[in-house]
Amino acid sequence: MEVALRIGVNLLKINRVCVHSASRITDSYAKQIQLNRDFSTEVTVNAAPLAVKKHKVSKAMKAYLERARENDEFMKTQKLEYQIGKRHLANMMGEDAETFTQEDIDNAIAYLFPSGIFDKRARPLMKSPEEVFPARKAAEFDETGRPFHSMFYTGRPNFFKLLYDIVEEMNKIHDLEERMLRRGTRADANQKIDFTGFQWMPKEQLESMLVEQINDLEYTNFTNAMDRLVSLPFSYKCQNFIKKFSKPLLDQTKQLEIPKPQFDADGRQFVTTYECLRKTARGDVTVRMPGTGKITINGHDITYFEELQSREQVLFPLIFAGLLGKVDVEANVEGGGTSGQAGAIRWGIAMSLRSFVDQEMVESMRLAGLLQRDYRRRERKKFGQEGARRKYTWKKR
Amino acid sequence: MVNWVIYKPDVKMLQNSLKSAARLFKYQNACVIPQRLQQTQAAETTPKPEPEDIAVIEERILKNRDYFQVHNLFTVRDLFNARVHYGHKEGSLDARMRPYIYGSRLGHLIFDLDVTASHLRDALNIAAHIAFRDGIILFFNRNALNAHLVEKKAMEAGEFSHTRFWRGGIFTNANVQFGAVTRLPDLCIFLNTQNNILTQHVAVRDAAKMAIPTIGIVDTNCNPNLITYPVPGNDDSPAAVELYCNLFKAAILRGKEKRRELLGETVESNSANTEAKSQQLNQTE
Repeated sequence: MEVALRIGVNLLKINRVCVHSASRITDSYAKQIQLNRDFSTEVTVNAAPLAVKKHKVSKAMKAYLERARENDEFMKTQKLEYQIGKRHLANMMGEDAETFTQEDIDNAIAYLFPSGIFDKRARPLMKSPEEVFPARKAAEFDETGRPFHSMFYTGRPNFFKLLYDIVEEMNKIHDLEERMLRRGTRADANQKIDFTGFQWMPKEQLESMLVEQINDLEYTNFTNAMDRLVSLPFSYKCQNFIKKFSKPLLDQTKQLEIPKPQFDADGRQFVTTYECLRKTARGDVTVRMPGTGKITINGHDITYFEELQSREQVLFPLIFAGLLGKVDVEANVEGGGTSGQAGAIRWGIAMSLRSFVDQEMVESMRLAGLLQRDYRRRERKKFGQEGARRKYTWKKR
Repeated sequence: MVNWVIYKPDVKMLQNSLKSAARLFKYQNACVIPQRLQQTQAAETTPKPEPEDIAVIEERILKNRDYFQVHNLFTVRDLFNARVHYGHKEGSLDARMRPYIYGSRLGHLIFDLDVTASHLRDALNIAAHIAFRDGIILFFNRNALNAHLVEKKAMEAGEFSHTRFWRGGIFTNANVQFGAVTRLPDLCIFLNTQNNILTQHVAVRDAAKMAIPTIGIVDTNCNPNLITYPVPGNDDSPAAVELYCNLFKAAILRGKEKRRELLGETVESNSANTEAKSQQLNQTE
């Protein structure tokens, strides 16, 4: 019991530090691996120099070395504590401590310290210190204190270097255009970069790539500069550079695969969509082609729904696709109320109809929202209120 | 930081020596300079068995008026061709710029290029000396038209540039701004000293506060008071800015080259890198 308690305390400690440090990942100790060696003073000394210099270490370097030493010591103790905790856990679970993996640790903690806390990051965990504590920034300057990066003093050297690179690319293309015009050749219209269906790397991704925080205005500057670069007639010459920062937009209709219709005993095509969900209703829908417009819902016809709105819901995709009276629909649905069941069938019919209409129609069905699953659920009643939103009647006097 | 501390008195000495250079020469011309020349000549002919401490050399070369021969980097004709003599309109004149002005033509002020040339040579000299002492040199420019050029030249010189919005406290609160103890630049070169036509660059004030020497190209509408080495001249035309950048780059490279020569070092040069890069560019084309 004592062991369990101790390990619990240990875990809590690590956990607290973890949550605390997660917010700190973004600050100055973020990973900074790439060092521009252009500005360092790596030298080789020849045989007989006319002068010698005293070996001096700047205050900046001294402070950095001190911080690095402290960090190393801290990590050492953390690693030790992690190893001890691992052994305790292995003992408690009755397994061999030597072969106890991280996965075993996670399982053991889920078993020994069950937690219903919503936020997964707030639940107890035990991870190796390398994962918990963000890596520290490597020194950005050499031992005389001279920074490695030419734009170090701007505070966001990598970002401003990126803007610089964009302008470099532009200048290169302008030069090329000039030469080509003098030669009388123009840009190849076929090779022109088509940027539709692409977007620039989102801000968060760019930040993690640069290991720097940038503000919205700076991100706009970046996208504007890139747009300008793409709009140049010879922009295809720097395609690789552009590709590094562009990201394809997902095309929904292309992504979702449309099922091929099967053939039943009568030789008719049919498609079945399972798991048609809406609110708490759940069902499956089969659409047969060609048909006479017969609709069967749980063995009844469309009068299964007494409300007109529900009937309209079921018919809407057929009317939209212009296939009313040309296909047969069979649906089995259970759970939920009338509107939920109608919604589930509507979605099932729409999804099945994709196999019987052309690509253009599928796209317009998507735009009409027919292929979008409706995830809304009933909102809970609140105490002190009559319903989800409605308040009790209240009169001041 | 250690270097920085050591530089301070040196820079002051250098300033004094440069400002009173003419006087110095009058009195010491007879005795000191020929001795120095003899020494350097001796060093060139027979290599010394005992290498000197670089700090001693740093002190000694200060006594030479133009050790790095920066005077031959440009002529007044070059300045004229680069349109350095164009000032702003008469109405925008800052009275403190009056001594540097030759006159006005069609309502536009014209700089006296002889004055500009002597100021520019002083500035190039100090830049070369600081580069020789392994100082950090930071280029400034707030004109978007020339920003890329300045950044590029700073990179080629192996030095630093800041052509963006100046966040307050980069000099005055550096350890907090960068999250660690940081060595500040030893020389600031302003290719223009204004943020816009109305306000002065805040770094001019901050550099003065932190006793960092500054070189500034001051146009007729600028205030030269806080600049250690003001160079009167046109700060807007790309041609002029390119000329300044090239001159400062050349002076800095001379200083660095001399240091390397004396220390007997060979650096894996930037030029090799830039060549490799340019080859890549050619391949992509």
